[in-house]
Amino acid sequence: MPVISVPLFFYFGIVLAIVGSIATAWGPGVSDPVIRTFNTEVASIGVCLVLLCYNHTLALLTLIATTVIITLILFRAIIRLEEMGADV
Amino acid sequence: MFVPPEFVSMYLPAIYAGLIVGFIGTMAIAINRRELHILILTDIVGLAMIFVVSAVGTDLAEALILPGLVVELAETLAISEILITREMRKIEQDPRANLAKSSSIFPQAFSLDMEIMTTAPNFIALVLIGYGILLTGFTGGAVAGGGIVFYALSKKARGLPVLMLDGIAGVSGIAWCLWIIGFLLLFVIPQYWLLGLFLAACGLLLKVASKVGLIGLLMREDIDNE
Repeated sequence: MPVISVPLFFYFGIVLAIVGSIATAWGPGVSDPVIRTFNTEVASIGVCLVLLCYNHTLALLTLIATTVIITLILFRAIIRLEEMGADV
Repeated sequence: MFVPPEFVSMYLPAIYAGLIVGFIGTMAIAINRRELHILILTDIVGLAMIFVVSAVGTDLAEALILPGLVVELAETLAISEILITREMRKIEQDPRANLAKSSSIFPQAFSLDMEIMTTAPNFIALVLIGYGILLTGFTGGAVAGGGIVFYALSKKARGLPVLMLDGIAGVSGIAWCLWIIGFLLLFVIPQYWLLGLFLAACGLLLKVASKVGLIGLLMREDIDNE
């Protein structure tokens, strides 16, 4: 009898990914690119849970690493574009 | 036969979730007009891709997710650079605007001054690179690349000259050749499968390690500028 219910994590991950993507697309305050970038994190946590249920260890680790690097890259782009006075 | 039975029942929900997430992402991309927002939203479409691929549920899914993620990372990096360059060119053409000093990822001057940077870099870098070579393949490349990044960062923090990684594209080309030869051996002479496997693994090791090291050397310019 497993203590942790795998389907619970799986469906919670799916719900989190869908809610996160809706929040990224039409959520409150998404005209600010920083808030939009933060909202993608919610969806990526949902995908992490799904990968955890599938036992995809390497894929999970790579997803976490690339999510961090992509967030850094996006923040760098946002900061530079805002400093140059572009319409972001 | 190859897919565990509990993953079979998870197949349809995962596919539908991927389709829904992908639909939301592409609709938002179609509505939006600003390029930076579109770049952020492509991240969501990438997550939908991971959903659909991971629904396969075997090692094949894992093997397909890894390159997908890395390609997505490279894509984001390239497109953000293009956006920044285009904006810079716009400012340069406008004589009234003055180009501000370029900024880094870190809003304040970020100087790495930890004790571990002065006492242990050689040892830790050697251990990481050695362990990475032992592991081979994708993981080994990441570990060895982490060693290279750590060595470069700590040398820079101590103010010593850093080794120059010129001609790294050549290493990358050799690594691709090793990988392709190894892959070919698996099909042409299957009885030498171990040789082919090791050629491919060492090629990937070289490739990933050099790429991670290169990214670290590029980021080093952002770190430690007073």
